[in-house]
Amino acid sequence: MTGPEKRLALAGTVIAVVALAALAAPLIGWIVEYDPFETDLLRRYSPPSFANPLGTDELGRDVAMRLLFGARVSLAVGLAAALAASTIGTAIGLIAGYFGGRIDQILMRVTDAVLSLPVLPVLIVLAAVDLGKLGLPEGEASSLARIVVIVAAFGWPKVARLVRGHALALRERDFVRAARALGAGPWRIMWAHILPNCATPILIATALAVGGTILYESVLSFLGLGIQPPIPSWGNMLTGAQETIVQAPWLALWPGIAILITVAAINLLADAVQDRFDPRRRKA
Amino acid sequence: MLRHAVTRLIQGLLVLTAASFAIYVLLGLMPGDPVDLIASGNPNFTPDDLRNLRELHGLDRPLVDRYFDWAAAALSGDLGYSRTFSRPVLATIPPFLANTAALMLASFLIALALGIALGLAAAANRGGAIDTAINAFAFVSAATPTFWLALLMIVLFAVTLGWLPASALPPPGEDGIWDKIRHLILPVTTLALVEAGEYARHMRAAAIDALAQDWVRTARAKGASRTRVVLGHVLRNALVPVATVAALGFGGLFSGALVTETIFAYPGMGKLIYDSIMASDFNLALACLLMASALVIAANFAADMVYAALDPRIGFGRARGDDT
Amino acid sequence: MRVAALAFALLALAFPAKAKDELTVGLSQFPATFHPMIDSMAAKSYVLGMVRRPMTTYDKDWKLVCLMCVELPTVENGGAKRVTLPDGKEGMEVTFRIKPDATWGDGKPVVADDALLTWEIGKHPRSGVTSGEGYRRILKIETPDPKTLIFTSDRVTFTYNDFSQYDFIPAHLERARFEQDPETYRRRTGYDTDTANPGLYNGPYRITNVQPGASITLEPNPHWAGRKPHFKRIFVRVIENSAALEANLLSGSIDYVAGELGFTLDQALALEKRQAARFDFNYVPSLLYEHIDFNLDHPILKDARVRRAMVHALDREALTRQLFEGKQRVAHSFMGPRDPMSAPDVPVLGFDLARAQALLAEAGFDRVVNGIRQNAAGERLSFEFGTTAGNRLRETVQQALQSQWRRAGIEVRIRNEPPRVFFGDGTSKRRFQLAMYAWFSAPESVPRTTLHSEMIPSEANGWQGQNYPGVREPEIDAAIDALERELDPAKRKPIWARIQTLYAQNAWVLPLYFRADPFVIPKWLTGIEPTGHQYYSTLGVENWRPRN
Repeated sequence: MTGPEKRLALAGTVIAVVALAALAAPLIGWIVEYDPFETDLLRRYSPPSFANPLGTDELGRDVAMRLLFGARVSLAVGLAAALAASTIGTAIGLIAGYFGGRIDQILMRVTDAVLSLPVLPVLIVLAAVDLGKLGLPEGEASSLARIVVIVAAFGWPKVARLVRGHALALRERDFVRAARALGAGPWRIMWAHILPNCATPILIATALAVGGTILYESVLSFLGLGIQPPIPSWGNMLTGAQETIVQAPWLALWPGIAILITVAAINLLADAVQDRFDPRRRKA
Repeated sequence: MLRHAVTRLIQGLLVLTAASFAIYVLLGLMPGDPVDLIASGNPNFTPDDLRNLRELHGLDRPLVDRYFDWAAAALSGDLGYSRTFSRPVLATIPPFLANTAALMLASFLIALALGIALGLAAAANRGGAIDTAINAFAFVSAATPTFWLALLMIVLFAVTLGWLPASALPPPGEDGIWDKIRHLILPVTTLALVEAGEYARHMRAAAIDALAQDWVRTARAKGASRTRVVLGHVLRNALVPVATVAALGFGGLFSGALVTETIFAYPGMGKLIYDSIMASDFNLALACLLMASALVIAANFAADMVYAALDPRIGFGRARGDDT
Repeated sequence: MRVAALAFALLALAFPAKAKDELTVGLSQFPATFHPMIDSMAAKSYVLGMVRRPMTTYDKDWKLVCLMCVELPTVENGGAKRVTLPDGKEGMEVTFRIKPDATWGDGKPVVADDALLTWEIGKHPRSGVTSGEGYRRILKIETPDPKTLIFTSDRVTFTYNDFSQYDFIPAHLERARFEQDPETYRRRTGYDTDTANPGLYNGPYRITNVQPGASITLEPNPHWAGRKPHFKRIFVRVIENSAALEANLLSGSIDYVAGELGFTLDQALALEKRQAARFDFNYVPSLLYEHIDFNLDHPILKDARVRRAMVHALDREALTRQLFEGKQRVAHSFMGPRDPMSAPDVPVLGFDLARAQALLAEAGFDRVVNGIRQNAAGERLSFEFGTTAGNRLRETVQQALQSQWRRAGIEVRIRNEPPRVFFGDGTSKRRFQLAMYAWFSAPESVPRTTLHSEMIPSEANGWQGQNYPGVREPEIDAAIDALERELDPAKRKPIWARIQTLYAQNAWVLPLYFRADPFVIPKWLTGIEPTGHQYYSTLGVENWRPRN
């Protein structure tokens, strides 16, 4: 297998290209004077051409353009959900691991309980619950917020367990003891001494959660519970294409490949980072 | 060890009880009730009809009361009546469970076997072309949306080539074992392909660890063949961590095959859960969700037992859902 | 690789060619029950059409005809008459004679007692039947002989001889079950506990096997007295995912996909381009009326000018032409053009952007900021637009409409929810601004529950009724009341015309189109006659057979 550096470079390049394309989407749209929301019923399902390199979809919108805008949405939702899950997970993990005892017991039982819920069915239930009542934004963006909240609500326990393990080990280390002897408070120690030392695993877990969210969004879209049109996401583009997959499989090909490449690159990146920073694995 | 097991068991039961309440309340919080659903699209409903139906299904009573009634009945073995199948919940689930079990066991075993074989092969050829290819497969496998792969498989093998049926269940006339197997090939292959990658990665890592141990070098020095060392020593030792991962993954399988079941028109647990939620068939949804929770808890328990007996190394979970 | 290909080829060989005396029908939904009176699911109606026959039905030409009766009773032929009820009100007496050779699958004749049981179950308040109103309107049933039924109903209505939802329940099997405990009857009925019992069915087929959620097997009913059905077995396979449904059809696992409950129009149109050699494509305009409800209590939508402008701003003709290749007709009122009572001269609010702009300006929305119209108070012309999430065709139409409205300076924000939420919490509690969905009905259905002002759901009436927009129009209320009492079709016609005119002029609802059911029928299969209304083509299943 190629070394971590090579893999890091490969994964990094792919992710950078996707991220750049996502960021530049409005600019590209402006240059080619194309609005991904503008429908043109006279040009439905047109095959790839110079004007529409990947053809058009069921409403005559340019697939390539929607793929770019879909990247924005899919990546943004993935990042937001992953960051939210990591933040909650890190906080809970740090507290449980550092304080230990009764607090640790309670927090870890809660973590276990959440982990024991069957993820997909509960996601479905949550997706059907009207989150508007809980004060989340209404309107077109609500489906985005909903997914972020749902994925975060289920993603944090993994991170919490991970961070707790590290915190448990770190709090007995000499530099932490020294800080404590010098009179630093528990919050300061957690923030300044323990957190930086579990940054790498948290980073990896966050990266993996980004990929996971993109996949979850596609499943929820498949079930009609994902990001709602007209906002394009890779998941709902894929779902939109499935009805005509026998007649026009190419429509489903592009968003599927986009998801595949992006998620694979993210996983590869996480793996390479882990190899680089995990001395035991590097030795092996 | 025994004490630990008993403690975990009791904790598991407590978690299950809490989960039953949480799920009940969640289901109850979903807007709209079954009667609204029955009435939608039919303009000939009268107000009296609606009120009567609501009373009949017990929907006019507070949620918490309904939960305690349900819990009391459930403890005496009565899980209620499924509105969408017009039969008791306990009589509804078994055929779906059997279907899911067949699909899941087959794909799980194949994925595991494939994963172990690929992982070993990659570890044995570390750094070579085979290793790179297997790694690429592992990453692609873990990043593939299942429904996409399932649809592509159907388009290719069922529609274009016409080799295999597009649905996972043989028609009523054909219930020989051969018919069943033939119909399960596509869905099992789909699931096995997306699951195998993860096992291959874990197996590879475990096998590389094992290969580096002193006793392997000793065996090699004593003249044991490469194949013998890999199969006889490395496999046995590397299997343990993989088994832990597999046990954890297994728990989610029963509820997680929703997408595969939907596309291959296969009446299994995943679809049953989804349909019962969407049709507000509370009794059925609740029983199925609890069963799925119990399985996850049981699988976690099993994994924990394996884990506790061995080096409790902390690993990172992969970024994939149970059926994404 | 070659080995694998060989293995696959062998597998393909093991797949036996299906004899043409069996038919596999694909359906997108599984029935929740097989009891004719409980639950009103489309899938159940579809399957039951093959195995049991109600008293009457509407045929493919939308004419009321007998199925289980000898002759349709009318006032003209003396089978029906006005009578004075004991309380002094006027009611009707209708006499039906059951076909002498109508027989249950176990050889027992279909008798008046079966119809009596239907009535007893139907009017029982706690039996769990879906809609008890029709049965409660019947005051008395006399049975002078086992094959004759005289119904006395509590009102004079032109639908007096429409017994299309009146089923026969086999009393020799079901009476004991019902009388044991009417409240739990729906859980003990033979239709769900002993589904394969031939005595439950009086149609050309009977159900012989059920795999819950997956398939239903039907075999001919040996005692069926009508035309002998051709197919020795019919398998109904349930495949919910429409892409999978199509794949199964193309790969030969199923022969035919139910036109009423199968493909979406979009899918059928795409299929036609490639598979015209294998299948006949028939797009049948149906009574499924797609429309957008305006919430008439919304401060801006209260204004008829705004609503009319919103209709004028849409080019519905272009939409149906381009999206549906003209296969679905634009609706201008709730009544389909095929309906005998459809008014030919309903006012048409056609596409007219200038008119829309003028109306909006008149309503005070005379300035445009960032492409969206505003009034002097700074209120933006912006609405929430909801429909059932996951319904691809609706979502497609919705985005096209959004795009069209934007050109007129009207912003709609799409907010869709799964059907259970959309109907359960949205429309039926009137929590919406614009809601797109469909009504399905029989020919000449009186719009009482959807337009009468007593039928506006509210907190006070326990959210009852289906007048979701909130139409409050005394003239409509009076017309609906008059309509029901008028027995002469010629005199009903002007009342219908008036209701449709008011409906179109006031734009309480934005009519979109009448959905067309795409029937994709294999070339070798004949006899399927699409009806376009809620009494499905399976009521003629005995005529389905292979082409010679």
